[in-house]
Amino acid sequence: MIQSRYVKKKVPFELYEITLLDADDEQLLQISEEMGLALNLEEMKATRRYFAEKGRNPTDVELQTLGQTWSEHCFHKTFKGTILTHEGKKINSLIKTYIAKATLELNKPWCISVFEDNAGIISFEGDIAIAVKVETHNHPSAVEPFGGAATGTGGVIRDVLGVWADPIACTDVLGFGPLDYDFSKLPPGVKHPRYVYRGVVAGIGHYGNNMGIPTVNGAIFFDESYTGNVVVYCGCIGTLPIKKYIKNAKPGHCLVLAGGRTGRDGIHGVTFASLELTEKSEEVSRPAVQIANPIEEEKLKRAIITIRDFELASSITDLGGGGLSSAVGETAHRFQCGALVELEKVPLKYPHIPPWEIYISESQERMLITVPSENLEKVLQIFESEDVEATPIGRLTPEPLLKIKYHDIPVAELDMGFLFSPPKFRGTAEWKPPEHVEPKLGEPRNLKSVLLRILASPNVASKEAVIRTYDHEVKGNTVLKPLCGKNDGPSDAAVLKPLDSSWKGLVISSGMNPQYGKIDPYWMAASAIDEAIRNNVAVGGRRIALLDNFVWGSPEKPDRLGSLVRACEACYEFSKGFEAPFISGKDSLYNESPLGPVTPTLLITAVGIVPDIRKVVTMDLKTSGDLLYLVGRTYLELGGSEYFRLHGALGRSVPRVRLEDAKNAMKAITNAIDAGYVKACHDLSEGGLAVAAAEMAFSGDRGIDLWLSNVPRTDYVQTDAQILFSESNSRFLVEVPKTVQADFEEATKGVVVSLIGEVKKERSFSVYGLNGKKVMEAGLNELMKAWKSTFRM
Amino acid sequence: MKYKARIEVGLKPGHSDPEGETTKASLVELNYPVEKVKVSKVYELYLDASSQEEAERKVEEMCRRLLANPVKDNYTIQVEEAQ
Amino acid sequence: MKKTDVQVCVVRAGGTNCDGETKRAFQDLGVNAEIVHINRLIKRRNLSEYDVLVFPGGFSFGDYVRAGAILAKAFSAKLGKELERFTDKGKPILGVCNGFQILVEAGLLPGFSGISEVPEAALATNFPIGFRCRWIHLRHENSGRCIFTNKIPEGETLRMPIAHGEGRFMFPKEKEKKFLDKLLENDQLVFRYCMETGKPAGESYPANPNGSFYDIAGICNPEGTVFGLMPHPERAYYGWQLPDWTRFERLPKFGDGRLIFESVIEYITTKL
Repeated sequence: MIQSRYVKKKVPFELYEITLLDADDEQLLQISEEMGLALNLEEMKATRRYFAEKGRNPTDVELQTLGQTWSEHCFHKTFKGTILTHEGKKINSLIKTYIAKATLELNKPWCISVFEDNAGIISFEGDIAIAVKVETHNHPSAVEPFGGAATGTGGVIRDVLGVWADPIACTDVLGFGPLDYDFSKLPPGVKHPRYVYRGVVAGIGHYGNNMGIPTVNGAIFFDESYTGNVVVYCGCIGTLPIKKYIKNAKPGHCLVLAGGRTGRDGIHGVTFASLELTEKSEEVSRPAVQIANPIEEEKLKRAIITIRDFELASSITDLGGGGLSSAVGETAHRFQCGALVELEKVPLKYPHIPPWEIYISESQERMLITVPSENLEKVLQIFESEDVEATPIGRLTPEPLLKIKYHDIPVAELDMGFLFSPPKFRGTAEWKPPEHVEPKLGEPRNLKSVLLRILASPNVASKEAVIRTYDHEVKGNTVLKPLCGKNDGPSDAAVLKPLDSSWKGLVISSGMNPQYGKIDPYWMAASAIDEAIRNNVAVGGRRIALLDNFVWGSPEKPDRLGSLVRACEACYEFSKGFEAPFISGKDSLYNESPLGPVTPTLLITAVGIVPDIRKVVTMDLKTSGDLLYLVGRTYLELGGSEYFRLHGALGRSVPRVRLEDAKNAMKAITNAIDAGYVKACHDLSEGGLAVAAAEMAFSGDRGIDLWLSNVPRTDYVQTDAQILFSESNSRFLVEVPKTVQADFEEATKGVVVSLIGEVKKERSFSVYGLNGKKVMEAGLNELMKAWKSTFRM
Repeated sequence: MKYKARIEVGLKPGHSDPEGETTKASLVELNYPVEKVKVSKVYELYLDASSQEEAERKVEEMCRRLLANPVKDNYTIQVEEAQ
Repeated sequence: MKKTDVQVCVVRAGGTNCDGETKRAFQDLGVNAEIVHINRLIKRRNLSEYDVLVFPGGFSFGDYVRAGAILAKAFSAKLGKELERFTDKGKPILGVCNGFQILVEAGLLPGFSGISEVPEAALATNFPIGFRCRWIHLRHENSGRCIFTNKIPEGETLRMPIAHGEGRFMFPKEKEKKFLDKLLENDQLVFRYCMETGKPAGESYPANPNGSFYDIAGICNPEGTVFGLMPHPERAYYGWQLPDWTRFERLPKFGDGRLIFESVIEYITTKL
């Protein structure tokens, strides 16, 4: 400690002045580290410059406020920064250059609010709009899996509340290290994947179930790199009458803090998320994990929705990363105001918390709303009627200054302009294609055993053991649940019926394949977009909006940043191409542990609509005698496939996306579903045709005859195994009754489609190879057993 | 007078205890020679009463009225003067 | 009483969360239903203005202490007299999931001799342990006492979803046999978990999803006017809520849960 730099002020509480003005660069960095600011040298120098101009030293409250506001988590420095690529290209803001650019160019009239608020907002039916947000909560979940995942769910629900929307569903996509990871290989500070898995799953269920919000869609992936860097994506969807999307805060409006009390929990959660996890994280960071109280948030939600309905407040935001410091700062910044905060008014869990800790605490279940003074009494009454504590803690002011007082003594005064213009991030990006080789595998002698092993592999196997611990039908509006059919098959997407007065449905799906990113992040991003959209289309969804969630390693390392840029390029290309705009996104960078960086992982969430839920199609086969059509072409694309993984290989032939073919295939599926020709439809993803067909068969308890020679394919595809296990994108397997065979073929004219099989009465799965002979014969029970026994209830 | 009470509420013998059994199973999985796990809930509370007897009576009543369900729960009470 | 005069009170407290869909089910059948916070009910003391009282599912007060215990005691302590008058008049009370737990904790169920001061049954932690959300089969065992199942023939098999972590119905061990006999004698047994075929679950998982004694899923009081069950009839109200509705040739209009709401409304409109 450089004691002399921290001067205790002569006030009756804990307040320090930090003698920054005469500190040298080394000391600046030391201050940043000692105070847990996570500010780099350039940022510390900018701070010194600012205070030099003011002619005084900063207080601890001021430095902490800057640390929070300028954190990666709050400001997204990397995505807004300047990046130089090794080809000499200069990218000014990844968001503007790629992600939001597609949205801007597509200019869809149904996009109401994109990228600017706590959640993306799109129109739904009449006056009712949909708000969606997906967040990451990796770092807290690595340190305390249960609490981290629970507060991740709580946080994303507040994001949706933070645009005045009533949450109606949650999603969760998780990534863990192999559950059978060798204990002895675990470095200190890294928890065993099995422990993390149990805690995270329980935490998500705890919050969603207790709040009464159904968890309707999700996925679980396993990857070696997730051992040190657990991946936790939490999503939430809400509805709001668009008239009630009120944001007109003005100087003089009261700042009302509502919900749970403020304590020391979660101090420095934000800066901690912006640092790499080290051995020390566990002990140092433990207090950074917040304690979850879903019942508090449930009450808070009721009060907020009532206040919304009466239009009593002028703006709203949640308290998440950075606590009050972000919520107050962002609110004032957004409405071009300043703010005056009287910190002693903040209700505390226990006394004697110094001002800086009150201001940046990340205690959960809190929201900040601005209220015109004439409505204040009514607002406070509403909170009280729900047993929720709410307190005016200050007001918005006309001058662009953030002023914080504690018992009338000023503890911070910062110009809003300075607070919201941190030095720009500058990074260099370099992406070199990794030199993977395609394995030379002979044709397996026993295709059935290959299929059984892929069905049982962790990424493919049934996640019923997890899904059943989440309430997926509370609120009674879940039309298509995560498991469907006679035997709990894997639904491609979830469908909700949000309004009693309308048959219109909301379709939620996701796409993610980190394995492809190991070969090329560009095609990983393209594949994830294709997968998310085709999952949506497979059940009847259309008019699709996308959300992006990047989980990457440190952007200060050129190779990590290089692959990030490449993924962003694909996001622009395919969002634009599929005419599916991004409406919201979130990144989590610095996912590095003693075991190395996280495998770059992009989750794409797709939100579509279906005009009439009664037309929704599920993936389970329905009727023997029906025909099976394969839509889309099969390429020799086994790179990153489950088939290669089974053989301990990665390969290089990563699946690509052929935009025109993909769009045509999807259009044809939508037309056929609308016309009522489709009895079942399933997308082809991990494990390819073999897995999709097997899942459809045992989920519907119907046998299948499959003729591989009829599968539309390129000349390079020459063996039965390649046809069965290639993971080419944009493909669907469709069940069509014989009575509408001609109609279906007419409806899908001009699209690559072929009759490749038939549904049969016998409960067996028979595959006829390229030579016309039977190459596989499996019972539905053995397929189902393989699929269901990896994760035990 | 201020009294401090410690109340432990646990399952009556004879009822199956899924929490205990599950905990035991995972401890055994971690190679500990555990034979039995019993899970109970502990409440620590402070109350005003005119005497030790009154304090015990009140706490006893709390258990009967709210903290334990006699169908399945046993409880033990310790009451002492608080500092 | 006319349908349009019927007033249903769906009680909620912090943590209640199935109130919306429960209210919807009643309204869909043409009666008035209102969601009322327990604080308001205590303040206004107007329970007598309602004809049906419903405790919906959720995690009232976080299910701290025991599921349903806190709301049950709060209700009895603050509204005990009103509640007694309500039941004495033969007005129906329904408890679903957390609501069933509340009715048991409040001593209204099984209520062998009126509202009991201490619970006579318990809904304990599931065996096997864990929160579980899925559809199960129920056999209707009531011979006519329960006014909530009048429209369901005895012996009928129904489908509804469960979603709970504490649903293992039990009697005191030493009185198990005696209480069961009483339950059967009084025609208080309403639903038992069963196989798809209607055969008893035999207290074995997964047909019996929580280890409930005698596969008990729902019971009523001796008068048949207070009814509690773990499964959610409000989530089995419409055909499109069924887990496999896409497998039907034509979309079924309704689910089995609707019969419970129809039954109680018929009782009120014809008997009260």
